[in-house]
Amino acid sequence: MIWEWIRFAVSAGFLLTGLVFMILAVFGVNRFGHALNRMHAAAMGDTLGILFVILGLMMMRGFSMDSLKLSLVILFFWTASPVSGHMISRLEAMTNEDLGEIAVIHREKEAKKDENI
Amino acid sequence: MELIQRAYDGLLTGTVLVLAVLIIFSMIRSVLGPRIADRIIAVNMIGTMIIMIIAVLSVYLRENYLVDICLIYALISFLGVVVLCKVYTGVYLQKKQMKADLGAIEDNLTKQALEEPEGLWEGKTEKAEDDERKEEMPV
Repeated sequence: MIWEWIRFAVSAGFLLTGLVFMILAVFGVNRFGHALNRMHAAAMGDTLGILFVILGLMMMRGFSMDSLKLSLVILFFWTASPVSGHMISRLEAMTNEDLGEIAVIHREKEAKKDENI
Repeated sequence: MELIQRAYDGLLTGTVLVLAVLIIFSMIRSVLGPRIADRIIAVNMIGTMIIMIIAVLSVYLRENYLVDICLIYALISFLGVVVLCKVYTGVYLQKKQMKADLGAIEDNLTKQALEEPEGLWEGKTEKAEDDERKEEMPV
């Protein structure tokens, strides 16, 4: 009985970690200002988020054919996500003509300090 | 045993609900996104989260075939992103080409307006060449 609960706790921990990563990814995609910055946040959800969620599900299923297939999903995502990210970034770099200026995130306090000086 | 089953069900339901809310937020970004790359990023993320939901459902409903659907969804979502990127790159290049062509035509027109109309004989030679070609062609 106690082992069942320990397994539940570990899989719940994995699932919630993956959910936290996905929440951070969506937050970043909604908050950042440029497409390349947004890609940085989205790649985290594509790799770490799906890794932890599917690890949690594999813990729930135990050793079986299904958990093997779920690990195959992770494998596919880790090979396909960088490729699609590269395609998107190439599209952005090709079509955005004013990409030359470097995107910098200013904090409000520092901006105020700069104004005071 | 009943209690742990209920705990698993609650955990999986909560995961699916949170992922659904996140999909709505990412859909908002895909509508707002000023550039096409932002939209593609948001759509790619929606695909990732749908794959997670299908994987969670396969455990929740205890159906094995949903894992296969999850794999196929991943393949098609990747293919969709690659095709969209290729299509929009092609559209951009075509627009650029068209703009360059229009600029070249305008330049030519201004040049011809500035020059004296001496270039008319070139057309005649072209016509003569065409006639020669027609004569050379075996009937």
